[in-house]
Amino acid sequence: MTVPDDPQIQRKLIEILRVINERGGAVGARVISDSLKERGYSLGERGVRYHLRILDERGLTEGHGYAGRTITERGRREIEEALVHDRIGFMHARIEEMIYQTDFDLISKSGTVIANITLIKKKDFDDALGILRYLAEHGMDCRIKIIEDGATGSAIAIPEDCIGIATICSITCDGILLKHGIPVNINYGGMLRFDKNQALRYTDLIAYAGTTIDPMKIFISWKATSVLDIVETGDGLLLANVREVPDLARDEASKILDQVVAAGITDYVNIGDPHSPVLGAPVDAGMTGISVSAGLNVIAAIQEVRIAVAVEPVAAVMDYSEFETV
Amino acid sequence: MIRTTTPPRPQPPAGEDTPLIFSISRIGNIMYQVTFDPVKRSGMIAANASFVSESDRGEVLDIFRDVIRTGLAVGSYFKVIECGSSFWGITTKEGECVILTPCSITIDGVLLKAGVPVRPTLGGIVQIKKGVPVRFTDIITYEGSTIDPIDVLMSQEIASVTDVIKTGTGSILANLRIVPMYARTRVENVLDSLQSAGFDGVLFVSEPNTDVLGIPIERDHIGIVAIGGTNPVAVVQEQGIPIRTYPLSELVDIGEMEMVV
Repeated sequence: MTVPDDPQIQRKLIEILRVINERGGAVGARVISDSLKERGYSLGERGVRYHLRILDERGLTEGHGYAGRTITERGRREIEEALVHDRIGFMHARIEEMIYQTDFDLISKSGTVIANITLIKKKDFDDALGILRYLAEHGMDCRIKIIEDGATGSAIAIPEDCIGIATICSITCDGILLKHGIPVNINYGGMLRFDKNQALRYTDLIAYAGTTIDPMKIFISWKATSVLDIVETGDGLLLANVREVPDLARDEASKILDQVVAAGITDYVNIGDPHSPVLGAPVDAGMTGISVSAGLNVIAAIQEVRIAVAVEPVAAVMDYSEFETV
Repeated sequence: MIRTTTPPRPQPPAGEDTPLIFSISRIGNIMYQVTFDPVKRSGMIAANASFVSESDRGEVLDIFRDVIRTGLAVGSYFKVIECGSSFWGITTKEGECVILTPCSITIDGVLLKAGVPVRPTLGGIVQIKKGVPVRFTDIITYEGSTIDPIDVLMSQEIASVTDVIKTGTGSILANLRIVPMYARTRVENVLDSLQSAGFDGVLFVSEPNTDVLGIPIERDHIGIVAIGGTNPVAVVQEQGIPIRTYPLSELVDIGEMEMVV
């Protein structure tokens, strides 16, 4: 936007864009006004129309007569770029929304899990699948769901020349801990060094509270993982993330996470000593740090053989039964 | 199988209980060692090192000079380290040379040595429209990352520095530090002397107690946005020429650098 708006107006404009974007089709002013109310913004129909006119003028929305407004490509970009300071907390908000929605049950091994979605070009798909099979043969399980282009109900649009691969996100663990009444803070995403099949220490960390781009996405495009080396030789770097739970919940969390590993939600879990760093990652006093390997490691391995991947971490909540073992 | 894995950057040997070092501490250590005096034009500055193949050297240096002349670099200096020589404990590979360019921590270091309590805060992408900085579109804080945010953001390929040079509109790498508003006059003097010495990297200085390009700052502080030292590297990358930047900045004597006029 060329003219810097008053932050309050700017926030309302972006919220309207988000409402239209989430609806998918054309939306009228009344529906927008109702949705805004649910999000804590009180703006009547007339107020909404006033803001819509500003959005139209800026080419962020388009009118379709009585059907209402749709968002333009530019509008979508605006959601991604505007209000940088709001978005830094948004990563946490999104993770919370997702862990709240999961209901995976460890006993019946059913329910919903959080998924990452990765786009791969159709021409690379067979090679990518080859890598996943290779990982599975070498002891790294991959539960995936393949999403074809044009699939209905997919959380992200799959372009025509691409195939989507959903993998189970390690943040599902946090949803499970939460359902057992354990409060979890997800602090860092990082690169974890393995030595002789043992997690040694983190080599780099990025705090979820200090970035507008998902740490996992950052580390994947940084191209420094060596997941294939880990399955071949036991040494290398993989993606993992760190959360903390209260010291008193350490034993219970440990028991639950054993079952989570058994259910194939994640591969490697390390529980730190009470209020000490876990594998070099800082932990607050009174808390215990827990490191969990990321579901995106299988995708990182695909990238290690120079297949281009576009990753959307924490993309959707999906049913566990939809995933298949490669 | 061909792998794209890049070797991890050097880490001090440490046990699993030694906490990792975050960018904020690395930057503090570098800026403490900056001794550059913009009036005398002597002393140590902070610099970034970029590795390029000997065969791309001419083209890369031309791009660097162009970017420096457009004002999208921290300072109008560079230094080439020849293939086979070693520096900062790194030895260049066969067929590869290294170009050092000033890093924006130099600005923080000079402010610090002038007695200004300067706090580097974050790195990010700044959108530029018709030559005017509009807002940060992505940020990573130094407290929250062990990797330099600029390095991270470069790998995301979301900057469009070439567009800014050609049309005045696009996105560049930049970083933010805050200083107390009471230090304003001294800060302005330091920034002026830096500019006279060829360090023209300041993009934006905010008013006290107002947002800095979309980022709220602490009460009674001023935000200073500087151009990231690796914007010339980003342009080289955007042209499809292989280049990699050593992820840590280090010190170099300004007397050893060549000035671009």
